[in-house]
Amino acid sequence: TEWNVSLWGKRRAFTEHVEKLAELVSEKTGGEFTLNISYGGLSKNTENLDGISIGAFEMAQFCAGYHADKNPSITVLELPFLGVDSLEKEIEASMAVYNHPAAQEDLGRWNATLLMPSPLPQYNIVGVGDGPKTLSEYEGLTVRATGGIGKAMAAVGAVPTSMSASEVRQAMDSGVVKAVSFAPHAHMSFGTVENATWWTTNLNPGTVNCPVVVNTDALNALTDAEREALMSSVDEALAHYVDYYNNQTMKAWGPLLEEKGIEQITYSDEELAAFREAVAGPAAAAWIEENSARNLPAQELYDLVIATIGE
Amino acid sequence: MDSIDIGIVVTSVMLVFVVLGMRVAFAAAGAGLAGLIWIFWAKKGYDPAQFTWALGVAVKTAGQVPHSKIASQALSLIPTFILIGYLAYYAGLTKALFEAAKRWVGWLPGGLAVSTVFATAGFAAVSGASVATSAVFARIAIPEMLKEGYDKRFAAGVVASAGTLASLIPPSAILVIYAIIVEQDVGMLLLAGFLPGAVSALIYGGLVVGMALVFPKFGPPVGGFSWKERFVSLPPALPILFVVVIIIFFIYNPFGGDAWGTPTEGGALGAFVVFCMALWRGMRWPQLRDALLETAKLSVMIFTIIWGVLIYVRFLGFANLPGAFADWISGLEQSPMLTLILILLAYAVLGMFMDAIGMLLLTLPVVYPAVIALNGGPDVTAADSAFGVSGVGCAIWFGIIVVKMAELCLITPPIGLNCFVVAGVRPDISVQDVFKGASPFFVADALTIATLIALPQIVLFLPGLLIG
Amino acid sequence: MAGASAVRTDDTLLSRLDRALFRVETLLALISGLAVFSLMLLAVVSVGGRNIFNQPLPGYVDWIEQAMPLIAFLGIAYCQRLGGHIRMDILVGQLRGRALWITEFLTTAVILLLMVLLVWGSWAHFQRSFDFNAPLWSRDSSFDIRLPLWPAKLLVPVAFSVLCARLVLQLWGYGRAILTGDPAPVAVPLIEDAATVAANEAAHVSGFEAAEEPDAVGDRRDGRGAD
Ligand code: NA
Ligand code: NA
Repeated sequence: TEWNVSLWGKRRAFTEHVEKLAELVSEKTGGEFTLNISYGGLSKNTENLDGISIGAFEMAQFCAGYHADKNPSITVLELPFLGVDSLEKEIEASMAVYNHPAAQEDLGRWNATLLMPSPLPQYNIVGVGDGPKTLSEYEGLTVRATGGIGKAMAAVGAVPTSMSASEVRQAMDSGVVKAVSFAPHAHMSFGTVENATWWTTNLNPGTVNCPVVVNTDALNALTDAEREALMSSVDEALAHYVDYYNNQTMKAWGPLLEEKGIEQITYSDEELAAFREAVAGPAAAAWIEENSARNLPAQELYDLVIATIGE
Repeated sequence: MDSIDIGIVVTSVMLVFVVLGMRVAFAAAGAGLAGLIWIFWAKKGYDPAQFTWALGVAVKTAGQVPHSKIASQALSLIPTFILIGYLAYYAGLTKALFEAAKRWVGWLPGGLAVSTVFATAGFAAVSGASVATSAVFARIAIPEMLKEGYDKRFAAGVVASAGTLASLIPPSAILVIYAIIVEQDVGMLLLAGFLPGAVSALIYGGLVVGMALVFPKFGPPVGGFSWKERFVSLPPALPILFVVVIIIFFIYNPFGGDAWGTPTEGGALGAFVVFCMALWRGMRWPQLRDALLETAKLSVMIFTIIWGVLIYVRFLGFANLPGAFADWISGLEQSPMLTLILILLAYAVLGMFMDAIGMLLLTLPVVYPAVIALNGGPDVTAADSAFGVSGVGCAIWFGIIVVKMAELCLITPPIGLNCFVVAGVRPDISVQDVFKGASPFFVADALTIATLIALPQIVLFLPGLLIG
Repeated sequence: MAGASAVRTDDTLLSRLDRALFRVETLLALISGLAVFSLMLLAVVSVGGRNIFNQPLPGYVDWIEQAMPLIAFLGIAYCQRLGGHIRMDILVGQLRGRALWITEFLTTAVILLLMVLLVWGSWAHFQRSFDFNAPLWSRDSSFDIRLPLWPAKLLVPVAFSVLCARLVLQLWGYGRAILTGDPAPVAVPLIEDAATVAANEAAHVSGFEAAEEPDAVGDRRDGRGAD
């Protein structure tokens, strides 16, 4: 069996688990079952679920926040200030939601089965000029932030500005925005750190949730041996991913901040609590209300996430 | 047949249809769709019972391309740049520019022709399309040159050739298209076009002066303008400068302060300034309606080729043809520079028969990855590369060269569109005359391209400032 | 390299249908032009809002992405009517009479087949983004401010259907020309040699110059003159 896998961009920390999965699956089946990984050749990243639904390819990665209406159930994992502080926790929370019948039914509309998350650390903010040391200093700060994090920023008086990721570097260097919110690896790959003067170490306003899914029919059509090879490799692939992110990406991140002389802003617990109070509660309430209207067990999903993170 | 063979067969059939006169956009989309059906059916072992499945998957895969690829912010620059060009006519900017250029540089040998080159370069800073630029100046500049006794072929050749400057000097629709296909920063490419465009204009200007010195019958200088007359001619042309400054400040602030916005906003704001100017100069709804219809027509023409070709590209992705071609090119046992020059020569031949935008869209999906691989890959440093430019640098540098190449083809027989346009505006001048008049500029362009290949710094200097 | 082409008209049913459809196509193209115009205004609002009021337009990128399909698709049949889609006409330019009409008929038929399939494909794309039971009927939304995407996706099959209607009329026109051998049939864009194409392009410029020289308006020669 040969599967086509639709990813985008180029090979990076964010795709290491899929690369590892391909390696393991081929190994375990003696080359009988192979995954052909394509970076952007098969689909645009926002249309990967469409491609799965059509049956154009068998496996794909996407981010829930790209198109909330396509996958409302798993956007619960993108709510601000959930309190996730490690990739392992992010995996646990994601898998708890992925295994919930409501999420499976939600993705089932696309003929998709959730396989594994692509855990990202919490977003933080890189900026130019004087960094905001307190909540009140966010007032009027232009920041490139979208979706839930954009709303979180607006709640404390910052001015979220919309632009495509490829324009961000230039927009910050040229002063159109003063700050940018990304995960660390994206700050490095989009070059926002190059001219930055500050970085928030523990604001942790949230992150995006990017699952890897497979086409349900294709999954069912696998032989028992092939399915076993695939499913039994997920944990090892994720372990490889976490190891790679922590030991390659994050290892480069700290020294890079030092080398560039970027000021690291760390907020006190009281400051963070104030942030959470202003943002997290209202955002969660709004999410639950909106998604209950979609006939999702929204409260249940939210409680599940909070309980899993609290364990 | 493996998927690469399918890729080659489908590509050949597409080229046959293009030669047969099928509209390029649909030939590409049709080839892409047929290729997708083939690939999906092959996956099922050509089982007749599975054909409808393969057809459905292929059609749905192709069917998502138009919307998903076109709904992009970067592409919005194309219609904006086209609109600016049309509005500029109504704003009276073209005549003002030519008049100012005449008073300032008319005293040079071949003065009116030199003025034409520089006025065109100035207009290029608001116009995004070559053909339209040549058409305008054929009406404004040729009558004046003939009145002063300029050689007819020479005058026509200058106008046809100078029009090509519009595609290098920003704004340029074709550079935006290139940036989108190769997924590079649009602002960076626009900025990169500026110096090569200016160098081109200077080479054209120098060539005209040289020719006028050697053959005085080509055209006399026009002098006798007082300094007062010169300065008086500037204000009407100033809006051009204003628009240029706006667009530049939206890409990059030369004084080190904050830029005013993104290139997307800059293009749109430039259009707004020209629009206000045109309103002030008396443009009303009937003229605006015409400008909007023309903009819509040219935009839809370009966008249709874009999504058509992108359906074909989607098929190439499933067939993995670009990867295979890149492997083949970078595996050739000859110097990378020789390969690059052969690729450019192939463009010169293709350009004799095809439109610039269609040609780039059809070939870049395969040629671009090959050129990048030839240079040493997308992440190569300048020091380790074959052409002495980094991965990103190579993307920009090759873009400017290939666009200049495509523009050169607008003045080569048999289908040099700019020459036909000039001959069309002036019924008294035959197409052959225009081609003859443009032939020295062909040599100048070849020189320019050689210079750009030898000195990538000319292309990469301004984008380098942006990267810091 | 055909640009604008002349389309002949007469009193036949075909020609009347041609002109009726052309009115619809022109309206759609005008909406497309107005969408370009609105992009311009959107930028003014966005830049002004950000620099003067420190309040950028929320979802600026999302709005642009909504406007693009209007610009890119609505005029597609208008452009086909005028023969404005780029092609290489070196070879067909040499053909005359029936040989020409047969070639045109064949390539047009292939395009019609393609476009019918793409109406199906783009309709499926729309359907996946549409759900009667969801808020705003939306099953796919934009990145930043979550605008429903189905209206923009619906535009594609609609515009492609108008193009299909146009292609059917052109097939009818070419088919009739094959039967009658008419050297200049109605309702199809006539191939012009490059010189005539250029003359049309030139006429445009004179159209623009008309802003300053009112008496030059008469000599425009793009398809609109045929009405
Ligand atoms: Na230009
Ligand atoms: Na040519």
